[in-house]
Amino acid sequence: MLVRDIMHSPVVSIGADARLDEAYARMQSYRIRHLPVLDGERLVGVVTDRDLRLATSALHPHPFQSGAEVREVMTREVVTAAPLEPVEEAARVMRDRKIGCLPVLEGERLAGIITGPDLLDALIELTGMSAPSGRLAVELGEAPGQLVRLIDAVDAAGAEILSVLSYPDRTQHPHVILRVDTLHTHMLADRLRAADFDVSWPPHKAW
Amino acid sequence: MVTTVYAPEYALYDFGPAHPFTPLRQQMLLGLLEALGRAPACAAPAPATREEVLTAHDEAYVAAVEAASDGPARGQGGRFGLGTLDVPVMPHMDFAARTLAGGTLHGARLISEGAARRVLQLGGGLHHAQRAHASGFCVYNDLSMAIRRFEQQKMRVAYIDIDVHHGDGVQALHYADPNALTISLHEAGQYLFPGTGHVHELGEGDGLGFKLNAPLEPSTTGESYLEVFERVVPHALAWFAPDVLVVVCGADAHYRDPLADLLLTTHDFERLFRRLVELADRYAQGRALFTLAGGYDLDASTRIWALLYHVLAEKPLPDALPEDWRAEWSARLGRPLSARLHDAAPDLRPPDHEAIANQNRFSSRRLLEMAVRYWL
Repeated sequence: MLVRDIMHSPVVSIGADARLDEAYARMQSYRIRHLPVLDGERLVGVVTDRDLRLATSALHPHPFQSGAEVREVMTREVVTAAPLEPVEEAARVMRDRKIGCLPVLEGERLAGIITGPDLLDALIELTGMSAPSGRLAVELGEAPGQLVRLIDAVDAAGAEILSVLSYPDRTQHPHVILRVDTLHTHMLADRLRAADFDVSWPPHKAW
Repeated sequence: MVTTVYAPEYALYDFGPAHPFTPLRQQMLLGLLEALGRAPACAAPAPATREEVLTAHDEAYVAAVEAASDGPARGQGGRFGLGTLDVPVMPHMDFAARTLAGGTLHGARLISEGAARRVLQLGGGLHHAQRAHASGFCVYNDLSMAIRRFEQQKMRVAYIDIDVHHGDGVQALHYADPNALTISLHEAGQYLFPGTGHVHELGEGDGLGFKLNAPLEPSTTGESYLEVFERVVPHALAWFAPDVLVVVCGADAHYRDPLADLLLTTHDFERLFRRLVELADRYAQGRALFTLAGGYDLDASTRIWALLYHVLAEKPLPDALPEDWRAEWSARLGRPLSARLHDAAPDLRPPDHEAIANQNRFSSRRLLEMAVRYWL
């Protein structure tokens, strides 16, 4: 899944010379918290609702008036994403830099924007299901070729694999979640256990 | 009083000896009722017509089922979920599936014409079948056809699904339908087939707030199950004011079921069935159509459905099960069968049962919080 698959486009943005109250009104009307700031076509900054509230707060040593220009309070060092970047890479950048959005640049042109909630949507989609299916969770050991062996075993049992999700567990071994087109997951699990797989779901029934 | 619907042709719906959804289940049940001296007089239904099937399914799908019935060629079956591990192609597939649906429709006809109030269809309950897709042992969605028949008679239907799997086909076919309230209690989708049935699935358009899902944790015991049932079902029925209930009585929430992970006993099922009868009397003038559905431990399922019959027929429950019947079926199945109707009340509570009950409580509360917004 790539950034261009989840980004919002066209982008709601604001001019660098716009007033702070204009920027705030735009955020309110679109119910958003981040605005890329443009000077002509060029991306020159990002302004967030938090920037605006802090800049105009009585707690600020030199509070800005609502008529001040956006360029005076915006973040100038903009971290951006590229359309063909994988979403997990974008997510990592946002976590590392502790930021809430990434404007997406296609060359010099502002092509889209992604924010934290878009990554949550991506997570829901990546871990979700598209067709009626049962779930199998298997812990693979460190011997090579385990995933192929697992997929062969499920195929030999006659089930169709609809999705595969894998992540390292605490011991760094792959934890694999298969969605299969069957209600017979207990039967599949028993067959996999008989072939020495460590199946963590569904459980073996004691009765 | 209950009117029972069954036809010997239901046995045609048979995916083969290794498949869990076997017609042996009904044969065992009817054999047991007969051995108990309670053989019901069954109204024999006609198969559903093609037109009736088309009230739930796309023409292209029905044509694919018909084509799959004539021979082994799989053709385009794959596109429609036919010829899979769960729904292998069987001989006479279309006719067999229409026969089961015919029974459920016959029950709906008897109730909507006023010829019966309480009907038990000894089959059907194919709640996974989708508009253009077979799924989870289900070819034609008899329940949706029955709901449509009631709706044609201007009746509002409350559908209650206690099969351990989410009633996804019925929910999808009626997702925007405000004349059908659907309530499904099931093992949570993140653990069990078909993966849906989350509390946020509330319907769409005019149907918003009319689709309710109570997902339950694996290892949920009867106590927690019944608590969730009581929190959700009576309120929803009181609000919706149905004309009739359609109740899917899968027996696979039983602790011995080989396909799922809930821990109900026959005692819990008896409470549930008695409560469903009370709710039908209180909220739907006693009108209720009960069907079978999943239930894959033959010993447990037979006892649960025998219980269902006795509760619906208002007959005293037997205790010991007839020796001859047990001997016959033990020999046929090659395994011993329970000597009594009820489970021997085992203590099934897992060590973390409090946490499980709390999670179920949380889910059902969240469901109601989300649904009541649409009930005002």
